[in-house]
Amino acid sequence: MTSFTVRAAGLALVLVSLHAGAQDEAIPRTGNGKPDFQGYWSMTTVTPFERPVSLGDKAFFTPEEFAAFEAERLEVEETVQGTQADVHYGFDDYGLHPSQNVRATNLRTSIIYEPANGRLPDMTPEAAAMRAEKQAWYAEHATDSAKNRMLQERCIVWPHNGPPMLPTGYNNNAKVIQTADHLVFMQEMMQDPRIIPLDGRDPVAASIGQWYGHSVGQWDGDTLVVTTTNFTGLTGRQIPTFSTDAVVTERFTLESPETILYQFTVEDPATFVSHWSGEFRMQKTTGPMFEYACHEGNYGIVDVLSAARAAEQETP
Amino acid sequence: MHSRLLIATLVLGLLPAASQAHHAFASSFDVNLPLELHGTVTRVELINPHSWIHIDVVNDEGVTESWRIEGGSPNALFRNGITKNSIPVGSELIITGYGARDGTLRAVGANITFADGRPVFFGGTKAPEE
Repeated sequence: MTSFTVRAAGLALVLVSLHAGAQDEAIPRTGNGKPDFQGYWSMTTVTPFERPVSLGDKAFFTPEEFAAFEAERLEVEETVQGTQADVHYGFDDYGLHPSQNVRATNLRTSIIYEPANGRLPDMTPEAAAMRAEKQAWYAEHATDSAKNRMLQERCIVWPHNGPPMLPTGYNNNAKVIQTADHLVFMQEMMQDPRIIPLDGRDPVAASIGQWYGHSVGQWDGDTLVVTTTNFTGLTGRQIPTFSTDAVVTERFTLESPETILYQFTVEDPATFVSHWSGEFRMQKTTGPMFEYACHEGNYGIVDVLSAARAAEQETP
Repeated sequence: MHSRLLIATLVLGLLPAASQAHHAFASSFDVNLPLELHGTVTRVELINPHSWIHIDVVNDEGVTESWRIEGGSPNALFRNGITKNSIPVGSELIITGYGARDGTLRAVGANITFADGRPVFFGGTKAPEE
């Protein structure tokens, strides 16, 4: 069907930066002596967010196991004409397949490493009930209005933005700008920069919710620790969303000029029965990034609603 | 037929799989409306969240119809030097895909080639050189 798999395997050899031994390299620093995170970074990974159940508590692959796992994950599956999966464009046609993008190696079997099974903890009964209610409502009203569509479709928040900032299938690059008192994450996907003050300023009032929450950063040695509060109750993992009382703590460690170890913990007792933590590496890449400008080109949401109206005409 | 993205549904878990492409293609296009279009490029919009290629197609009655074809986010294309000029206006394209549920002249392009069979964009032949 395609030679793409072979090509992808060759690319992987070129693009993947192995992490082993990287800690010994000197890291770049800013004028005030802090680790310099500036530049373009790729969050692309083959590591699943949650660990496959079949792996149980196995937290790490061996390098050999990882190579086999990665090869399997990067293999391109061709869709079959006449199936729902085929009603789509080809990701590799647009350079969007993970095998076509810079990525760091992560021997973990899942991004989540706590709980020990590498999977999200159970929801609280209240959160589970809320999720069921939202899903039922969505099934009934998803196409009633543009405002009823999910935040991604409305060009508001994607998992890239976080926090925690999580990779998806494509467009996983970010540009970092850093000064003595601010760090800015400009994700490739969505248009709003995430601005993190580092100057110890007072937090904003708890009543002020923000799409990305309110983040404050401080240095713990060479690790930047960012604490985020002030969630809206509308973001997180979409369903379930994080509660407005959720707290996300992120740790950014520049392991080498080429890799950032990104770690995070989500504490949201109103939603999950326990906290959960994860980590992956960001890999240095090249820019520039193309401005996402999602709202300007978002014909898709109009088309989805138009299709729904047409269906209503057919079903009186 | 095209490449499927396996990783995305695992990352986002609870979200509908189709939302990985920013919006639900299955909500907009109909698997029961497969089509093949032969047309001439009139305009190319390499924009987010999705690209659009506009083509003129002469239908079976000899009437020219203006179609728009939905594709992927163009960010990786730009990083690899591919612009809208890579599909010049006037190019002849062959598009297989699926038509719109609302009956308008638009389609999702599951497979797009130039008339001579060359793939458009990466198309399984051009690799990024990052």
